[in-house]
Formats: sequence, C-alpha cells, structure tokens
Amino acid sequence: MRNDAVFFLGLCAALAISWTGIVLGSHAQLGFLAPYYDDNQGTSFPQWMPGAAAQGQLVYRDLGCAACHTQQVRRPGFGYDQARGWGERQSVARDYIYQPFPQLGLARVGPDLANIADRKPTAPDEEDLLRMLYAGSEGMPPYRFLFEERRVGAGAQHSDLALKLTGAPEPRPGWEIVPSARARALVAYLASLKTTYDYPEAFPFVPPKPEGALPEKAAAPAPAAAPAPAKSGGSP
Amino acid sequence: MNGKPQRDPRVDQAAATDESLLDAHERLLGRHPDDGARYRLLPIGILFALSALVLFSGTYLNRYAGHYSASIYNENAKPSIGGAAAPKMDPLAVGEIQFKNVCITCHQAGGQGIPGTYPPLAGSEWVTGSPARAVRIVVYGLKGDVHVQGHLFNAAAMPVFGQQVTGSVYNWNDERIAAVLTYVRHAWGNNADPVSADDVTAIRKAVGDRREMTEAELEQVK
Amino acid sequence: MKDEVTAADSSSRAPLLVLLLAALAWLVAAGLLGLVASIQLHSPRFLSDCPVLTYGRMAALAETAFVYGWLANAGLALALWILGRLAGEPLRAQGWAVGGAVFWNLGVAAALGGVATGDATGFALLGLPAYVHMILLFSYSAIAVTGILSWSGRMRRVPYASQWYAAAALFTFPWILSIAHVMLFSAPARGVVQAVAAGWYAQCAWTLWLAPLGLSVAYYVVPRATGRVLPSYEFASLGFWCLVFVGGLTGGRHLLGGPVPAWIASVAVVSAALLLFHVLIVFLNLRGCFSGGGIALRFTAFGIAAYAVGALADAATSFHGVAAQTQFTYFDEAARQLALYGAVSTMLFGGIYFAVPRITGRAWFSAGLVRAHLLLTIGGILLLAGALCGAALVQGRDLADSAVAFAAIAHHTRPWLAAATAAQAILLLGNMALAMNFVGTACRILNVSEPASFNPPSAMEAHAP
Repeated sequence: MRNDAVFFLGLCAALAISWTGIVLGSHAQLGFLAPYYDDNQGTSFPQWMPGAAAQGQLVYRDLGCAACHTQQVRRPGFGYDQARGWGERQSVARDYIYQPFPQLGLARVGPDLANIADRKPTAPDEEDLLRMLYAGSEGMPPYRFLFEERRVGAGAQHSDLALKLTGAPEPRPGWEIVPSARARALVAYLASLKTTYDYPEAFPFVPPKPEGALPEKAAAPAPAAAPAPAKSGGSP
Repeated sequence: MNGKPQRDPRVDQAAATDESLLDAHERLLGRHPDDGARYRLLPIGILFALSALVLFSGTYLNRYAGHYSASIYNENAKPSIGGAAAPKMDPLAVGEIQFKNVCITCHQAGGQGIPGTYPPLAGSEWVTGSPARAVRIVVYGLKGDVHVQGHLFNAAAMPVFGQQVTGSVYNWNDERIAAVLTYVRHAWGNNADPVSADDVTAIRKAVGDRREMTEAELEQVK
Repeated sequence: MKDEVTAADSSSRAPLLVLLLAALAWLVAAGLLGLVASIQLHSPRFLSDCPVLTYGRMAALAETAFVYGWLANAGLALALWILGRLAGEPLRAQGWAVGGAVFWNLGVAAALGGVATGDATGFALLGLPAYVHMILLFSYSAIAVTGILSWSGRMRRVPYASQWYAAAALFTFPWILSIAHVMLFSAPARGVVQAVAAGWYAQCAWTLWLAPLGLSVAYYVVPRATGRVLPSYEFASLGFWCLVFVGGLTGGRHLLGGPVPAWIASVAVVSAALLLFHVLIVFLNLRGCFSGGGIALRFTAFGIAAYAVGALADAATSFHGVAAQTQFTYFDEAARQLALYGAVSTMLFGGIYFAVPRITGRAWFSAGLVRAHLLLTIGGILLLAGALCGAALVQGRDLADSAVAFAAIAHHTRPWLAAATAAQAILLLGNMALAMNFVGTACRILNVSEPASFNPPSAMEAHAP
C-alpha cells in the first residue's frame, strides 16, 4: 500500500487473473467448439437456425423474455428439469455454438424453453405458441402488441395467418387477429429450439458416489445419468 | 465523541478530524513493537480462518473441478475412471438414413425391388428369417442365383458392405450394418427382431475374410 | 484544530452536487420503474399492451437506472468527496468531473431510451445497449481523473482504507466495461462463452466497483462518526486484496449445472467461500458502527449487516445442494436486492447524510424527512428481502414438484410478490423523502446565510481499543 505503482499493478493483476482464468480460459476451451459430425447420420450437429428463427431470437432478446425463461436444462439428478419434461439430457456448450445471442436466462418464472419444440409428451406447435403469446396466462402477460386486429368481410380479405381463437380472447365479430412479422419470427425461433441430438459430452460416465464426499454434495447423480453401454465402440 | 445522547439528525457530527484519522490508522500499519506484551488471539484466529478457507478451497477444487476439462459438465464425473459415452442412436432412424442413401437405388423406396433384377426386401424370407443369413448377405455380399418369394434373381450381385472384407466398397462399421438390417426387418410390414452390432461383429469375426456368399452356402446357415 | 467544513468541501461543491442531484433523480426514477416491474410480476396484465412497458424491458430499465443512474452517480460523488477530504485540499480538475457527470447521465438516459425501444442486451447488470458503452467509458474516466488526482495528491504517503476502495472502484470500472464490450459486442464470443463473460462482468461490477464504492464510504464514515480507531485495522488490507483478487473469480456462480464445464462453477463456489474472509475482515473493522450513533452510522450499520448476510447467502447458494432448490427462483432477486439496495445503497445513504451538510455547509432541510427515510428504507428492504425469500421458498417447492403447473406457481407466489410490491412502494416513498430533503437543503445554500453548526471534532485516540 505504500507504493502507488504496486497498488495499481495489483489491481491490474487481479483483473487479469480473473479475466484470463474465467473468461479467456473458457473462451479457449469453448470459443472454438466445432459442431459434432455424426458419421452414421451423415450430418453434423447442432444445425443452423433457420433465418426466421435467427430474426426471432432478436425479438426474444429485445422483449427481455430471458427475464422469466431460461434456456438451459440441468442434468438428470440435479433439479427437476427432466421431471418437467424439459429435456432428457443436460444442455451442453455445443448446443449454443450457432446462436448469435444465447439466451441462457437466470430466472424460471416461466418454463425452460431450451427444448420447447421437442417437449414431452406433446410439444406446442407454432399455432399454439401464437395463441399463448396472444392470450397470456395467469403467470405470463399477453403480447397483444405483436398482433394486428383486422376487419374482415365486406371487401376486406380474410388472412391465412389469422389466429383460430376459441374461448375468452375471441376477437370482436367482424375482426380477426393476425400475427405480425415479429410474432411469426419469435414463434419460428421458439419452434426451432430443440436439443434432441445426444452429444457424447452430455453423457459423462458417473462413478458411484464416493464414501468420503464433502457434506455439501447433496445432489447425488441418478443412475439414469449413466448411458447404457451396449452401443459403445465402433462409432468414430 | 461529543457525548450528547440526543443528536440532531440534520447534522451528523464528526468525532475525529481527517488528519487524526489518517495519523492513527497509519501508525497501526507501521511496525510497532508489542510494548505491553499483550498477546492477542485475534490475529491467530484470522490466520486460522484464512487457512481453513484455503484448505477447503483446495480440497473442493481438487475433487469437483472436473480436471478443468472442457467436456466434463458433471463435477462428479472423473475422466480417469470413465470417459464420455458414445452418442446414443436410434437404430431405426440411422438405418433409414443409410437405406435411403444407398440401398434404395436397387431395392426401391418401398423395398419392393425391381422384378427380375433386384429382389424385394418387403416380405422377403431372407430379410425376416435368420438374422445370421441376413448379416452375412450384407457383410459379404451375394453372387449368383437367389430365389426370393419363389422368383429367381441372378442379374445383379449384392455388393460387399462389411469392414475389413476384401472387395468391400462401403466399409460400413458393424453398428451401421446392424442399424440398416434392423430397419429393413422392421419396415414395410416386416416384423422381425432387431439385429445388434454385437451380432454382426461376432459373425464377421467367426467367418473371417472371404469372397461373396452364394445361395447354397447361405442355406447351410441356420 | 481545523474547522470541520474545509476547503475540500465548499470549493468542491459543483461536481459533487451535480452528481448527487443526478443520483437522486435516478433513484426516484428507478424506484418508479421497479414498482411497475414488481406489479407486473404478480399481475402480468398490468400495462402489458405497450411494448415499451413490457415486463422484460421494465426489469432491465429499473436495474439500469438503479445501477448506472443511482449507484454510479452517488458512489462517484462520495468517492470524490472522500478522496478530496483525505487529500486535504479542494478537488482538482473539477471541470472534468462536471463534464463527465453530464455526459455520464446523458449516456444513462440514452441507455434507458435504447432499452425501452428494444435494444436491451439481456445480460444481468449489463442491460446497456452497446452504443452507449463508449460515452459511459469516457465520461467515467473523466470523472475518475478528478479522483485519481486527489489520490496522488493525498496528505499521507500511506493511504487509508477508504482511499484504497475508492481508487480501486475508479480505476477498475473502465477496464471491466471495455473488456465486456469487446467480448460481448464488438467481437462477440461464441455460444456460452458470452454467458461466462457476462457473468464475469456482473460479478466484477459488484465486487470491484459497486461494493468498493459502498465500502469506501463505510470505512470513512465509521471512524469519523465514532471517533475510534478501527479495530483490527492491520488486517484491512488483507480484506481488500482478498476482495479484489477473489471477487472476479466468482463469475460463474449462476452457471451452476448449466451448459458450461463443471470447473467454472466449482471455481465460483470456492471463490464465493473465500470472499467470506473479506467479509469477516470488513465486519471486524467496522463493528464499531453497531454501537449506535447518528443517522449516517445507522444506515452504515444496516448496510454492513446486509453486506455480511448477502455474502453468506451467496456462498451458501453456490453449493449444489442448496442451489438445486434456490437456482432460478426469486431468491436470486432477493440476494440482488439485498446486495445492491440493502448493502451498497444504505452505505451510500449514510455517506450522503454525513457529506451533504459539509458540502453545502447547511444542515439538512428537515429532521422529520431524515427519520422517515431511515425508517422507510430499513423497513422496506427487510420487507422486500423477506417477501422475495418467501416467494422463492414457495416457488422452489412448487418447481420441484413437476405436477404443479406454472399458472399454479404464479397463483401461489402472488401474496408474496404483492408484499414485495408494497416494499417497493415503501422504498420509493423513502427515496422521495431523501430527494425532497436534498433539494430543500441545496436550496438553503441560496436562502439561508447561517451555516450548519458543527462541533469541533477532537483528535482520534492513537491506539485501538
């Protein structure tokens, strides 16, 4: 503390250590992650987002959907993610390599969306998602500003895109609800979110719990986390 | 301390000047002999707390840092004991991809083949019958006359698909062969048991390297 | 014996009052935005038809106004004031500080406009759109110039703890913002590395910028108000370096169990535990504030207590067993509010109550508003943290039971979230009291000729008790 130069060098060193250690370290490990080529399927994973979905990710980001929705599934045995049908395996870094703005999220006021297009037992289709966006629910606001109310009949043409609404949020007679381009992009993005391909790193071999584990290790990995070893070997 | 119990909340009085604050604290940082020989437990306590935290940190990182590996997401996994597993695959899906890439050229999309040239797979007794025969046909190929559903086919030969087999143009691994066999034994109304990669490996190892099979040889196989 | 109001106060008025006025305006604005966001959390249809007011944007707006509007302005004002006082001379390069303050606040206003119209980044504590980063960077550096000049012109060669923390905050923020800008916006890293970099920025903004700003004030106010030497002060530098070196490593705390390799979370767990050492030292040093005293000491005492509780909660929730229950619930929000509001803001409030009479040379406008602010702030923060923890417990229990639908979770947490809204309203009232009081006091410079009466402070006892 007696020397200013030492003080500021110390601050620089502290910043440099945490930056190199955490940020550059993970950048070196994950920043150049390649897609995984599956020889048997003759294609590589993950696959590029369709253009409409990439536009939808921007809508998702600018509306701040990540304030309430995560897009990361935790592993079996750690949390409730599998029980809620959000995905059978945990999300891994490779899932996100083609996403320009990964939306991992920090809060689960609403459900996780990492795998919403392949949710078990039934995944919502684009029409369902549009209806959810328009109608809202007890825990989610309606996004009416993503839809247009248009007059039909008497010269005005019926839109192919109009929502088929039944129940409470029905439009006034003579009007129809048409999703805007932003709504359709957002829904195309949600419909592209699926993590169905099983990367090897998502299924690590989990040894049985050691006897002398530290006490805070309450989350014991479920045996289901270990893959069936029947189909190992052979594949590149 | 000004000692007034009732303070005016509008002005917070100071009890020490800036200079004396700096003076007093600077003196504490300097080296000063323990004149009164007042041994204090606090410094030892603080040192102990720091050592305990550092010990905990080291132990925790040693155990749960996953060897700082990029592919270990579960801090309980140890690469020294077992590595990552091969990706799971659905043999029907993989088999369908392979069939549509390669086999479909001769055996056709519906597995019906082309009468007189390429034998059908749908409903074929060779396909749904003994898996040992079906595996041999794909791994080693088939040449010469063959009777399927009572019709004779001899215009074309079944190519060699197995790996480490002389004349093999495809060099498919055993998993792929098992997948495509599982697929053709399940598609178009066929309903035979799946074939596992282990079965293919076993047959390939037992038979060894050889030329194409013939119908007569295959009929020896049960 | 010197006068209590020195040249460092009266001649440095301009930049300090500009920064404080802006800070309090943002504080009230952030309170309003936070109130709307808090209502939307339990009544999602509230103001949902306007894209500008949708919840995702409101939450980002409230956070940005609070952190970059209120905490930054107030923290900078107090850091400059403390560095100036301890230098024993008026602030130098005041024009830089005033100009920096103007552009900083223009930048924050532009950031809020950007977030409201759809340029939010979605990163925690970094909702600022990329295009305001440069203006914030340069204006912050301009303000910091004034502080660093005071640091280098200090009256003792050995700086005091307040000076370390203030200088660290002034020095590091431009670095972490520019690193985050490069890794997230100008050359965005691939995939989850963005999440790691954003987590690193958020933790550094907390441990290297906001917490030091608060601690700098607390380290100044406590010995000055109590007149006693800080106990165990010889360990204070250990506590400081512990915070500086370990703080940034807690960056992966929120990625526990997420799509990043296990080591990132494990390093964060360890660092969160090591940070407890820093908190222990701070607590030992500043424990004198709990013995009671003026308004500034009471705010500081609450801030120190909230800081310690928050650090314990952070360390506890980084462990997997606890995180399995608390991760992604309102508990994160509770911890955030406890840190930003309960700890740093109350330390800054304490500093403001101590500093403003000296800067303006006038007593506070109203004693009633001072007392009201203290009561409303402490009550509001306790209610807010308690209500959010209650909501987190309900939410964590319901999430773990996959049979409970999200609509049911929203229904179950509603009473708790309504209580949190009430707490936000209480805090807003308190902050309006402070803002009114501040404006009244500032007006007294013009209206009231007679200065505040300060008792002449005595010299500090030379040895630790």
